[in-house]
Amino acid sequence: MTTVLEATDVFKEFQEGRGEVVQVLRGVSLSLSRGEIVGLEGPSGSGKTTLLSILGCILTASSGRVVVDGEDADPRRPSRLPAIRRKSIGFVFQQFNLFPALTALENVEYALNVKGVGGDDARREAERVLDAVGLSDRRHFLPRDLSGGQKQRVAIARALSGRSPILLADEPTANLDSQIGAQVLELFRALAKKEHRALLVVTHDPKVRTICDRMLRIRDGQVAADGIAA
Amino acid sequence: MVDLATKSLLHDRLRFLITVSGVAFAVTLVFVQVGLFLGLLDNASITIDHVSADLWVTSRNTPNVDFAHTFPETSVQRVRSVPGVARADNLIIWFMTVNLPSGAQEGTLVYALEDFRSWNIPWNVESGNLDDLKRGQYFFLDASAVKRYGPFSTGEYREILGQRMKIIGRTQDARSFTTTPISFMDFDRAQRLSPDLLKNRTTYILVKLAPGADPAAVKAEIARRLPYNDVYTKKEWAARSRRYWVQSTGIGLNMYITVFLGCLVGVVVVAQTLYTSTMEHIKEFGTVKAIGGGNLDIYRILGKQASIAAVAGFVLGSLMAYAMRPAIAKIDLKLIIPPTFAAAVFVGSIAMCLAAALISFRKVASIDPALVFRT
Repeated sequence: MTTVLEATDVFKEFQEGRGEVVQVLRGVSLSLSRGEIVGLEGPSGSGKTTLLSILGCILTASSGRVVVDGEDADPRRPSRLPAIRRKSIGFVFQQFNLFPALTALENVEYALNVKGVGGDDARREAERVLDAVGLSDRRHFLPRDLSGGQKQRVAIARALSGRSPILLADEPTANLDSQIGAQVLELFRALAKKEHRALLVVTHDPKVRTICDRMLRIRDGQVAADGIAA
Repeated sequence: MVDLATKSLLHDRLRFLITVSGVAFAVTLVFVQVGLFLGLLDNASITIDHVSADLWVTSRNTPNVDFAHTFPETSVQRVRSVPGVARADNLIIWFMTVNLPSGAQEGTLVYALEDFRSWNIPWNVESGNLDDLKRGQYFFLDASAVKRYGPFSTGEYREILGQRMKIIGRTQDARSFTTTPISFMDFDRAQRLSPDLLKNRTTYILVKLAPGADPAAVKAEIARRLPYNDVYTKKEWAARSRRYWVQSTGIGLNMYITVFLGCLVGVVVVAQTLYTSTMEHIKEFGTVKAIGGGNLDIYRILGKQASIAAVAGFVLGSLMAYAMRPAIAKIDLKLIIPPTFAAAVFVGSIAMCLAAALISFRKVASIDPALVFRT
């Protein structure tokens, strides 16, 4: 399988008030391949979200190396990071983070516009991914008129749009009830597999394990275990 | 392309309304203040603007058209002999007292010429024949005098400097800066009304240039021949008359202060609402960054929202200002809004709103996209 995301010996430090340095990540290494679904779990404060932010090129590592779809996310060139995000990464957030003024279709289409896809191409692609997540009939609904599960499916459609090879999801089921959460996870798994995307899911939810090929456990800023999901 | 800026702006209609109201308030204030100012200044030079003279000869250091001083009427002969002068006539502009039927005493600014028609003054005659002015103790009175004198009509008499004079015509639009009503009478009649001050005297010489004559050369030659007078082109004289009132009354400063305060209120309202909106939508801007957008994309959104607020506020503010015109006219004031000024206010509104958005720009530049992961 082709490796699309690789982190090697990643450290991350934050300066807190009064000059105190907090080390959040301490030498994390991992890799993701196309079509692979990996879960990332760990207690609160273990560095999961920081790692996700670095892998998603939202934050830069203090040291170590991150290669995204063959491109080095060099912390010395932070201006390159938005371009890497546009080209290679799709996000799904715990709070969905949809634009409340845009319909489901427009939310997806706008993400495509940001990625440089416009006009009819964006409209067709947005309709395709909304159809894939089963929301064709809700495409003209504003987020306020959608249920939590539907909102998360729009968020998944947005992440899938533009054919980014890497999908990063932060607690995608945290705001959904268990039944809807299970449906969303299954949908996410099926689409990621079908379209050969690499999917990294940060979670506290034990059900997520059921869709993962591999589980990573992070503790005190280090990967404590990397193994086949149970 | 999905227009996130417009859709987000219109999504929160109450906030949009507040923002637009802030801009509209500033625009209305600027239009009304500057419009009234221009209306007043227009009165300060309205007769100069309408009289078809290319050059005005005045006594030395006359500050404005209403405050004339006399000089010998024979000076006009010297002007007539200057090459390039097609016509030159004496004009008296003089303040005289009027006794009203009520017993009250008021003032009038008398414009006295031998041949009004040749100089396009008065330019808006409501009734009466100007040629009749020479035939007796007659005068024309501008309709605006109603406010100071009370109702009047042609055929009635008023006492000017103690002499009974018949109103034989009405004019319109002839105003003075001080709102003193303007009347028109024959040149000799005016001299005879005030012989002590006006006999063989004039206050201005109006000059019409011959076709092809060089105004600067003619002006210089008149100035050489009349060393105790000043000579102005029409434009210079109008500007000098207006400048006098701006500088001596403080209305200019008053206007600038009000315009400044209006703009300040507009900037504060727009900046405050845009900034609050930015703070409330900070996570959305973080999402824009997370999905690959940069600061520039967000600046565009904020800039567009500010521009939309500016355009909507300008339209609303303009409509409000124009709607006030009839009410302002009723109290005998003019609201002059030249198209170039309206265009300047439009550009100013956009600049004001973009300036107000700068605070939000600064905030957005410091957004940590990682906030999208926070709950």
